Amino acid sequence: MQGILVIVVLLLVIAGGVYFYSSNRPGTTSTTSQAPTTLVVEEESQPDSMDPAVSYATSGWEVVEQVYQGLLAPNGQSYTSYVGVLAHDWSASSDGMTYTFTLRPGVTFSNGDPFNAFVMWFSIYRTLVMNQGPAWILGQNLGASNGAGFNVTDSMLNSINYTSPSPKDLNYMTYPNQSVQVTGPNQLIIRLGYGYNGQAPYSSFLATLSTPTAYAVDPIVVEANGGVVADQPNNWMETNAVGTSFYKLQSWIQGQSVTLVKNQNYWGANVSTSEGNSAIQPAIIDTVNLYYKPTSTMVADLKSGFAQIIVAPTSQYSVLNQIQGVSVSVLPPVFGSAQGVHFLYMDPYAFQPFQDVRVREAIANAIDYKSIIHTVFNDQATQWIGPVPPGFPDYNESTTGLQPYQFDPAMAANLLAQAGYKATLPDGTKLNAGGKIFPAVNFLYDADSSTEGQTAQIIATELGSIGITVTLTPLTFKQYANVITSTSDPSTTAYPFGISFYSEDYTASIDYVSAITTTGQIGFSAYSNATVAGWTTAAASALDENTVISNLSQITKAMYYDYTDIWLYVPYFMAANKSNVVGMIPNPAGSGAAYFMFYNTVHYSS
Amino acid sequence: MDPSVYVKDFLRLLAKRTIGAIGVSLGTITIIFLISHVLSPNPAHLWAGPRARASTILAVQARYHLTDPLFLQFYYFLRDLITGNFGIDPLSGQPILAEILFYLPNTLELVFVSFAMLVVVGIGLGYLSGMRFSTPVDSVIRTIYLVSWSTPMYLAAILGILVFATYLPIFPSGGMYSLSLTPVRSVTGFYLVDSLIGLNIPAFLSGLQHLILPAVVLAAVNFGLISRAVRSSILNVRWSTYVKTARAKGLNEDEVKRKHILRNALIDATSLSAVLFGWVLTGTVVVEELFAWPGLGQFAFQAIYSNDYPVLIPIVVVFTLGVIVANFVADVLYSILDPRIAMGAQTGAIS
Repeated sequence: MQGILVIVVLLLVIAGGVYFYSSNRPGTTSTTSQAPTTLVVEEESQPDSMDPAVSYATSGWEVVEQVYQGLLAPNGQSYTSYVGVLAHDWSASSDGMTYTFTLRPGVTFSNGDPFNAFVMWFSIYRTLVMNQGPAWILGQNLGASNGAGFNVTDSMLNSINYTSPSPKDLNYMTYPNQSVQVTGPNQLIIRLGYGYNGQAPYSSFLATLSTPTAYAVDPIVVEANGGVVADQPNNWMETNAVGTSFYKLQSWIQGQSVTLVKNQNYWGANVSTSEGNSAIQPAIIDTVNLYYKPTSTMVADLKSGFAQIIVAPTSQYSVLNQIQGVSVSVLPPVFGSAQGVHFLYMDPYAFQPFQDVRVREAIANAIDYKSIIHTVFNDQATQWIGPVPPGFPDYNESTTGLQPYQFDPAMAANLLAQAGYKATLPDGTKLNAGGKIFPAVNFLYDADSSTEGQTAQIIATELGSIGITVTLTPLTFKQYANVITSTSDPSTTAYPFGISFYSEDYTASIDYVSAITTTGQIGFSAYSNATVAGWTTAAASALDENTVISNLSQITKAMYYDYTDIWLYVPYFMAANKSNVVGMIPNPAGSGAAYFMFYNTVHYSS
Repeated sequence: MDPSVYVKDFLRLLAKRTIGAIGVSLGTITIIFLISHVLSPNPAHLWAGPRARASTILAVQARYHLTDPLFLQFYYFLRDLITGNFGIDPLSGQPILAEILFYLPNTLELVFVSFAMLVVVGIGLGYLSGMRFSTPVDSVIRTIYLVSWSTPMYLAAILGILVFATYLPIFPSGGMYSLSLTPVRSVTGFYLVDSLIGLNIPAFLSGLQHLILPAVVLAAVNFGLISRAVRSSILNVRWSTYVKTARAKGLNEDEVKRKHILRNALIDATSLSAVLFGWVLTGTVVVEELFAWPGLGQFAFQAIYSNDYPVLIPIVVVFTLGVIVANFVADVLYSILDPRIAMGAQTGAIS
């Protein structure tokens, strides 16, 4: 009897094993990964929110960009040219202060609710009134208040009927002196000058409009689920999504995955070829499953065939390159720049020795940049000259005549000695033996980044060899980010020196330049100069390219010879996918697998 | 034992443990609250976003009372905690209680299955090892549990994924169920139970398939301790006088093993199980992260990483309560296994 039981149990175990094996094997049709109409994408970070007015992480925007749509989107060829999405066409006034948009007719949300100019008015003001993390992107140029008594409030947004507006509703939405004015059911005017940039045009305004902050949300859905509350997120909208786009959010299993399915009611299916473009074409693949896993698991899944696209660091390049049927490519520097440009900051307010430009220049000369790129990044990074990031518009023009900082330890020691400190030449010769000992200084870096950790170690050794002692003070990424973006008094910081970074909000050089030059805190760069801030404003508001280039060049030169920020490196970005997955249109503005915008063009090659 | 005495003991132990739980939870809350504030005194900037405007940061500060004195912040935090909603998660904007209730069943499902595995395998191997003392079987079992016990959780998880998801794709590398299936209607929150309630066999099998690997990893690195304890207890009791007496009285050998050797050996295993339950529970922080298992452990990992202490503190309280409850259950089991031991007394204390 016992023998029979053992045999039955063994048979059950074997049958179970066979079932699991066959149901999980690549090449079978019963798994999600292998169905030709399903795509599995894996990455590390989970979305922060599904609400376009709240989401501010690449992983969040990746989903939002597939479900919601805005007036326009990058055209797929140029980083700074746009095609109409919900807008059919648009024009700008000669002074750059007014944009008139004509909307596409027949657009609906996936639940059938109509889209029109009133909905767009609601959507933009909703972002401004909610005032969440990314609201500043629109808030630079647009405001809920016109500064002269007209204020769009949460109660106003909640009271309006956007399908059949009452005369009172129309009074609000058609009022001329405001940021967004409805001039017809399918036409609206957007006016700059009501944001914190003041009365000035903004050369990258269309780029800001292409971000999720300006995507259309359904006011009927919002009002049915808590409405708009000033300065607060909407709980329902944080985890649910109803948009106009080619995909619908089927599920977000927090901590595990997001599933997107084709929007069967997609309005774009009715658009003629001549009126259409890649940003609005219907999706080819039926289902996109986004999983959130650690790098080791992602690589294993790409290898086993479970995943078709993964987002992995370039350190995995050689590993992935050896997997058969996997295509790995290192993308041009602009994609690395979008992910993050890295530099040293020295805060002269918090650490007195940094007030001497010779000290700052000495530090710039003490670092072996090429060695860092070779040792830490296996040559998968490039040195740069900021603040315009490499590959972005006007980078080459603004850096003309300048060479990236060079490693010259003898020069570094001499400069340090000239500044009054004891210093040591590479051959061990002591300079300025009667000088002061350079006081030890804390050096901040991101403890979660192995590359920053290695870089920090190298820099500490190199500075130590000329006579500068740094105390490495790593913080976890979130803590670190909190410090480098801090608005507190910079003179009180415990971190006057360290590695900083900046990554893209929208594809515009001015996004980086204004953050690095005018934040006026430790804030990213510790750099503060009224003249340079003026040039930044001039570059931001210039409508002709020559003026933009001229101002960016002046900023670049001024910062280059000031040495408050030492431009270190920009790591390259790597795309990794199964070779039979094609159709990705790389664009640095995109968040799909962190390098393309929309999943609608992605498909399997035959 | 007189049932009324038993009930009285039980209630006394329950009262004692409840008071203890409140004290331990308050202590835990205070410590984490203080550590979080030392690490990041004003996380408004962190929560609002890297380039958030001053008005956005002020709104976050006001919402979470971040500019108030520390004792007032602690008061507001405790108030939210006690009134039941645990407040709002500053990063997701969701009520924290709702988030915990979403993740908790997933973790418990993983923990219960894993715990059952480790208890059965741990006791089984410990018993076998003890009864086959100094034989090759004993040596093999001891080697297995020493190796598994000394393997770090993350290494076991990565090896598990590599072997059983990549090279021999029997199990998925992560997630809780296949996304190609129709979602199961939530009744209890436990995926396997809900799929059975709905008679959804494909969903049940998919859930099981996803559950096995992380549960085995959690069990594998923890079962060694219980095996070792059981083996050692078996060695203590198998040559004891009362076992010899039982044999001398002519008792059947199976009965001697079951009633006299195993039962006595289980007393130590029971106390260890309570400790191991805590280990398994806290081990989910690593395992859930590596297996993309949407549970409380992974949620805690994200909260630690994001400095999201309004979320982290309630999670730690839940973990703490889990360990306290496990110890309570162990105390009750003690007295069932050995009626001479008063409920709540230390091992060996005779009532």
